Amino acid sequence: MTDEELLGELKRRFEENKKSLQELRELNEQLIIVNKKLTESEAMKTHFISHITNEIINPFTSIIGLAESILSLPDKDWTRMRRMTNLIYSEAFGLDFQLKNIFIAAEIEAGEVYPCVSNVDVKSVIENVIEIFQREAMQNQISIEMICKPCENSEKKRFFKTDAEKLRIIVANLLSNALKFSFQKGKIIVHIEKEDSILKIAVKDLGSGISKENQRIIFDRFERLNAGIDSIHRGQGLGLSVVKAILDMLEGRIEISDNKPQGAIFTIFLPESNISVTDFSENGDEIFFGETEIF
Amino acid sequence: MIPEKHFLYPGALFASLKSAEITTILGSCVAVCLWDSALNIGGINHFMLPLWNGQGLASPRYGNIAIDRLIKKMITLGSNKIHLIAKVFGGGEVISTNISQFHIGQRNIMLAKEFLEEEKIPIISSSVGGKMGRKIVFHTTTGEVIQRFIPMQNMRVDEN
Repeated sequence: MTDEELLGELKRRFEENKKSLQELRELNEQLIIVNKKLTESEAMKTHFISHITNEIINPFTSIIGLAESILSLPDKDWTRMRRMTNLIYSEAFGLDFQLKNIFIAAEIEAGEVYPCVSNVDVKSVIENVIEIFQREAMQNQISIEMICKPCENSEKKRFFKTDAEKLRIIVANLLSNALKFSFQKGKIIVHIEKEDSILKIAVKDLGSGISKENQRIIFDRFERLNAGIDSIHRGQGLGLSVVKAILDMLEGRIEISDNKPQGAIFTIFLPESNISVTDFSENGDEIFFGETEIF
Repeated sequence: MIPEKHFLYPGALFASLKSAEITTILGSCVAVCLWDSALNIGGINHFMLPLWNGQGLASPRYGNIAIDRLIKKMITLGSNKIHLIAKVFGGGEVISTNISQFHIGQRNIMLAKEFLEEEKIPIISSSVGGKMGRKIVFHTTTGEVIQRFIPMQNMRVDEN
């Protein structure tokens, strides 16, 4: 081996070494992040029981108390009865919404959620979600407006191949969040667009907005901004992690941006499903290589 | 009895007492098939990444969670762990790269092997690695797996 070859070889090895070191450093950094997450996760698990008590037992207590009061009202006191029924409705509504999130999160974590694709009338699904949140919005004098770009040109364009129920859960969670972080007399705009078989839904609010630092962590489960037992915002912080997991399944994604000068915009991008509506398991256009093997 | 047909999506898992025929498509993803030789029942998962990094939900998209859940599910169905055998598929390379961090397929395979070894479940056969995608059909009553190769460019990204 000549000196030059030797030098070349040495140089090559040094370079390899440098690369490995760099890789090692990056892996180490990842490890530190994961470790931190696990510690946080453990702490949150401990808080979970107290959260659940706060989020589930309290509404139930109010519902039972209110129902008792209604039962003991004098006959035909409709005004007070209405007012109390209204309160029961909103407590039960919040409870129902949260329980559904807990169940879907459990199903996702058990690996038992499948896309269930059909030709979905996007406008009516979203209108429906807005409708059920209308009462909560009105209580805080918040208006919800929907702008549907694809509906303007043709009725046909409102249809999109996706999972209707999952879309409903996504939009409901985004709306619920927007309502939570809106100020009184605020306004929420739901903007629907469709481009090259990608459905884009943006939920804009005029609320307190989300800092860059917080934008990274809000998709983690049990993560709540201003968490704490006395927080004015309810919820166990499952909503956005559910949204993210469903979008992963439907191959979509979510972006957060600032709604200048005030508030936040959550935008989801959902590709049209290419699973055939009639039979999802058929993969007719596959090209196979070689023989079938049996293991 | 005619087996129930089922398509397994990435990040999901399936196990049943009933006879089933489960199809899934793998790129760099790995599927672990568990079969109980005493009860003649089986289960399968399909994970995309080796380890859950603590972000988002702890779903079976991640190997460490997917294999653990599958074993637990088999046990709830009545399996005894000593009767379980495993078959491992997938983990092909989608993108050629020199940075080993990005060799997701290899990392998925490694995780499956290490995890199953730790759980003392023998891998009796496998078809892993390479540069091809795979379509597999798992028969839960016989434990038999039928495999065909698919060129990667014919696969959609999500089927990784």
